[in-house]
Amino acid sequence: MIIKDIMITDVKVSSPHATLKDALQVMVSNEIRHLPIVNDENEIIGIISDRDIKDASPSIFDNKENEFLNKQIEDIMIKDVLTALPNDFVEDAAKYMTDNQISCLPIEDNGKLIGIITETDLLFTLVKLTGADLPSSRLEIEVPNLSGMLSDVATIIKSHNVNIHSVLVYPSSKNNKKVLVFRLQVMDVRQITNTLKEKGYTILWPSKMERNI
Amino acid sequence: MEESAFIYSPEQLNYKFSNEHPFNQKRLIITKDLLIKLNALHSNQIFPARMATDEELLLIHDKEYIEAVKAASLGKGRSSFAMTYGIGTEDTPIFTHMHEAAAWLVGGTLTAADLVFEHGYKHALNLGGGLHHGFRGKASGFCVYNDSSIAIQYIRNKYKAKVLYVDTDAHHGDGVQWAFYDDPNVCTFSIHESGRFLFPGTGNVNERGQGEGDGFSFNIPLEAFTEDDSFIDAYRTAFREIIKYFQPDVILTQNGADSHYFDPLTHLCSTIRTYIEIPKIAHELAHEYCEGRWIAVGGGGYDIWRVVPRAWGILWLAMTNQLSLINRPIPKGWLKQWELDANVSLPTQWLDTPSIYPEISRKEIINQKNKRTVQNALKPILG
Repeated sequence: MIIKDIMITDVKVSSPHATLKDALQVMVSNEIRHLPIVNDENEIIGIISDRDIKDASPSIFDNKENEFLNKQIEDIMIKDVLTALPNDFVEDAAKYMTDNQISCLPIEDNGKLIGIITETDLLFTLVKLTGADLPSSRLEIEVPNLSGMLSDVATIIKSHNVNIHSVLVYPSSKNNKKVLVFRLQVMDVRQITNTLKEKGYTILWPSKMERNI
Repeated sequence: MEESAFIYSPEQLNYKFSNEHPFNQKRLIITKDLLIKLNALHSNQIFPARMATDEELLLIHDKEYIEAVKAASLGKGRSSFAMTYGIGTEDTPIFTHMHEAAAWLVGGTLTAADLVFEHGYKHALNLGGGLHHGFRGKASGFCVYNDSSIAIQYIRNKYKAKVLYVDTDAHHGDGVQWAFYDDPNVCTFSIHESGRFLFPGTGNVNERGQGEGDGFSFNIPLEAFTEDDSFIDAYRTAFREIIKYFQPDVILTQNGADSHYFDPLTHLCSTIRTYIEIPKIAHELAHEYCEGRWIAVGGGGYDIWRVVPRAWGILWLAMTNQLSLINRPIPKGWLKQWELDANVSLPTQWLDTPSIYPEISRKEIINQKNKRTVQNALKPILG
């Protein structure tokens, strides 16, 4: 999945000459926490977050609030903006964001702003990737950490004529094991789990036994 | 005059995918026989179902879908039907005359609606209904036509009543929820095992409806291994608040009986105690808010010997104020009738002993989490 598929294209922006008051208003009324700052050519020249404004604002004890809010964005915006490109992989962008401890990334094409992604968009993508938004059942299997295990299990699922919505491969807490988590388009998973058990697989879920989940 | 009607027709038994399939309508005769042997169900209370017409099916389902079911029904199904229409899958295989069989289940729920709205009955029960996973254009989770969705739309059109749909099946009532997701005159409330663990995966607290229907869809996803007390507490609290807020004209309950510990498809730890409280509270609230109007349908339930006959028997007993009968043992005549058929030993008492399952060590964590879920679900009403 690439950024272009999940980015927001209707981006709220501000000009560097707008006041902090204006910027705050746009953020509050649109329920957003970041505003990219662009020039007349729609080139990204800065970014500002509600945190930046709070951090820069004077103490409520000295009466300079009004004066402060009438300052220009240019004065406090961050000019060294981290951005991503529309064809970057979503997972790379996510890593870039966590490495730099930022919660949004403007997307640029030749220096011009064309979109934005935020933590929320990434979480929503995670929900989709885990397949939990379509009628499906969860199947969780522990397998040896060897090549071909996923393919073997998928073949068994296929032999039951059942569609796979999503699959995740987790490292297990045990060194030499992996955990495969499927969302399957089937309500009665017992036929599949029976076959898997016959073939010696360890089924973690479904289980009648309580375990820490 | 009688207050309650019991819908049953032998044609409802024809909804049968295969001998091995877990969805088994033999439950209907086993339950009916239990009630008759208990002397709690009389012939003047039993009404035949009917086959729903195409026009009625079209209240919810797409024409192409109905045509596909009819074709499959006559042995003219295609392999593409599995992907496009969800029929011919492992869950919902094709069987001869599946269209007619599914339409008879729908007709039963429509008969129940008519008995309540036109013939002066306060309550009506169609155990053959409750196929809550059926979608407009797709079969899912053992369900071809969605009798409850069709009946609700039928009630909306014919009787203009506001309908509260309450679904206590262990699986989320997705088909009915999505059918009325944007309708403010139909409120859906589903309490089920969390979709993190169980089919269909949906039924999160934050599925609250959309557009005009925003705020008229409620979901309580319970943790796996939830026990009676936590289930009953969540159900009672949420049902009371939702009905007070929505003020319906009629309640339609889907009474799937698959939250029981014995159920092979799910992971909740209810016992028969839950199946006493579910209909008791529905009955009370129907009288308190809807002049008694209450339609109940069946649903899931895959331990057809030890769980479903008792759970559904109790549903009828609660509906007809005969719950004291469960203090007697299960009738000997019933045990004799079915003991050879059953592959397990039949229960001899109505209630379960507490020892049917091992102690749940995470009980406190599970109960707390469920409490929070109820609070979240009711936030729009209670703040």
